[in-house]
Amino acid sequence: MRALLNSLSKHLLHHQSWSGYWEPVVQCFKPGWREGYFRAQVKHVQVFSEQSVELVIEPEKAWPVHQAGQHIALTIQTNGRLLTRVFTIASEPQLARQQRQIRLLIRSQEFGAFTSKLTNLRSGQWLNISEPKGQFVMPNTARSLIMLAGGSGITPFIAMLKSLPADSKHTITLLYYAKPNSHWLKDELEQLKQSLSNFDYHLLERNKDGDATTWLTTNAHKHWLVCGPAALYKQAAALAKQLNTPIDSEHFSAVPAVLATSDKHELTLTHQGKTFTIDNQQTLLTHLQANKQPVTVGCGMGICHQCQCVKKQGIVRDIRTGELSDSSEQLIQLCISQPVSDVELSA
Amino acid sequence: MKTTKTVNFEKLAAQLDSVKADIKSKLGEQDAKYIRRIIVCQRVFEWSGRILLMLGFIQPVLWLVGVLSLATAKILDNMEIGHNVMHGQYDWMNDKYINSKSYEWDIACDGASWNRVHNYEHHTYTNIIGKDRDFGYGLLRLSNDFRWRVKNLWQFVTYLLLSVLFQWGVSYHEMAAERVFFGKKKGDRDYTVSHSELKKRFFSKGARQLVKDYLLFPLLAGPLFLWVLTGNLAANLLRNLWTSTIIFCGHFTGEVETFNQQDCENESQGQWYYRQALGSSNIKGGNLFHVMTGHLSYQIEHHLFPDLPAKRYREIAPKVQAIFKEHGIHYNTGGFFRQYFSVVKRIVRYSFP
Repeated sequence: MRALLNSLSKHLLHHQSWSGYWEPVVQCFKPGWREGYFRAQVKHVQVFSEQSVELVIEPEKAWPVHQAGQHIALTIQTNGRLLTRVFTIASEPQLARQQRQIRLLIRSQEFGAFTSKLTNLRSGQWLNISEPKGQFVMPNTARSLIMLAGGSGITPFIAMLKSLPADSKHTITLLYYAKPNSHWLKDELEQLKQSLSNFDYHLLERNKDGDATTWLTTNAHKHWLVCGPAALYKQAAALAKQLNTPIDSEHFSAVPAVLATSDKHELTLTHQGKTFTIDNQQTLLTHLQANKQPVTVGCGMGICHQCQCVKKQGIVRDIRTGELSDSSEQLIQLCISQPVSDVELSA
Repeated sequence: MKTTKTVNFEKLAAQLDSVKADIKSKLGEQDAKYIRRIIVCQRVFEWSGRILLMLGFIQPVLWLVGVLSLATAKILDNMEIGHNVMHGQYDWMNDKYINSKSYEWDIACDGASWNRVHNYEHHTYTNIIGKDRDFGYGLLRLSNDFRWRVKNLWQFVTYLLLSVLFQWGVSYHEMAAERVFFGKKKGDRDYTVSHSELKKRFFSKGARQLVKDYLLFPLLAGPLFLWVLTGNLAANLLRNLWTSTIIFCGHFTGEVETFNQQDCENESQGQWYYRQALGSSNIKGGNLFHVMTGHLSYQIEHHLFPDLPAKRYREIAPKVQAIFKEHGIHYNTGGFFRQYFSVVKRIVRYSFP
């Protein structure tokens, strides 16, 4: 039925999807309803410190409950624009099943375009989430576990630990690296330590305690779980390979942006699965043409939108206004977009 | 350029750029809400129209209301939604359905083809004879840039026919211009699309429109086949006449100027703005009138800033007019009948050598 309606809609109404065709109408009755997304209502927003925001939301009934460790894409509409970011769910599946709530712990980013908007959310407001995604969940293993968290990488571990039954046989050690005085949820970790008999944790600082090499090397017989910045993961992965230790990981690499566009920087451009080395001195259109990629070209001055394409990731600057783009998915015009970070374009 | 006035192009560009920047910084919630509301209106008009057409047998007046309702939906889809969304005016919303890349409209012309000819050629090379193939659509002689031919004698009738079949004219435009079927092929054109692709697009989109309005919806009505068929025909006709009229009033009033190819070589931003200003004209009217024209009643503002959400043209217009005045540039505006009369006069005037 759905396929039939979609095909009718495509051929007769010139709209890719039947529900999409009615979306603005449905929104009059169900605010925040969006085709291809789940709805969720904001229950509670709390700003912990300048670095972190806690967001409790209630997903609609059809939302498939996550496994501890999985993440979702969160889409908010702010000042008419849709913005999407990915966050790990920092609460246990039981909470979602029983009270239909999930919790997100979000760190304010340097560019703050998204996170600063979160603090303006009010309870009762609707936003959109994706289904739970990701393979980073409790491994099915008899080995003891080492959890290595860096910064906001603590979130999946909180979900995993909270989902463990009190009589769990797993022996778990959590190594939690963060900047001085910025460890999250110290109280909750302490409570978990009290309630779980085989759990212990260490709050670590890189400057004071050094990196995790010693800890990991002495625990080579255990199963490692790593979540944090790319650098942390790389180090652990190299060590795991050397020691032949099983490792699961999730790492979010925030792409560092080039800020001074007058200095020449080498960047990477991914287009139709191919990767090119480019610099930040020219527009994406020029780079694609130089690499003999098929692109539709128009006016070359940002008027006609012929060279438009969907940017999947990365930041670009509008050469006319100097305005920086969002870092997630967005429509851009190649002829007026100068890369300021690694960029991925859709086919 | 034909006007030999000296304009401080740098200052003009700076002033108009700042008008644009000001609006860009204000874009947000209000604009997103507006376009969604218009889409809701379009859906409501379209489906109530289609239902009312079938109720014509109870009371013919219902049929008539149905025709008007469907025509309104088609006009909204064509002008305020289709034209404007496909210009990229709402791309900043990041909405997967309301953007220039995915929008397709309810007229015979394939969106991509229109985008190439209209968005690219017409908006970049506005009124440059030989480059902007919108000027006269190759059918009408509207300036002395073209040699007079005998067929120009009855070009007013050609114009009326074009208006009646306007959606097909728009659809055929790119193919005619590329001389896909008839005429000499020009060697110097960069073809971005092959002729076979153009033909395929033309026939497939056109066929879908014909099947939808003149076969499928009438068939759904069963015994009321003819009621629905004629209703759809009438709605399409109304939409064609309306869009054609508005577009002619925006581009072919008496004072609109044309340019030659040298005019756009090494053109500065200010000169580009200046050319846009002289190549278009506005129509005065009320709120509803502006919505139904897709704000193309603000054709001058649209040509200066084709990708600003069209509803914003209302608040820019007085500023633009003041800037034009300061530079001594003619701001061509007038009531609907005045502008329309001026168009008719132009078509008739150039019918003769």
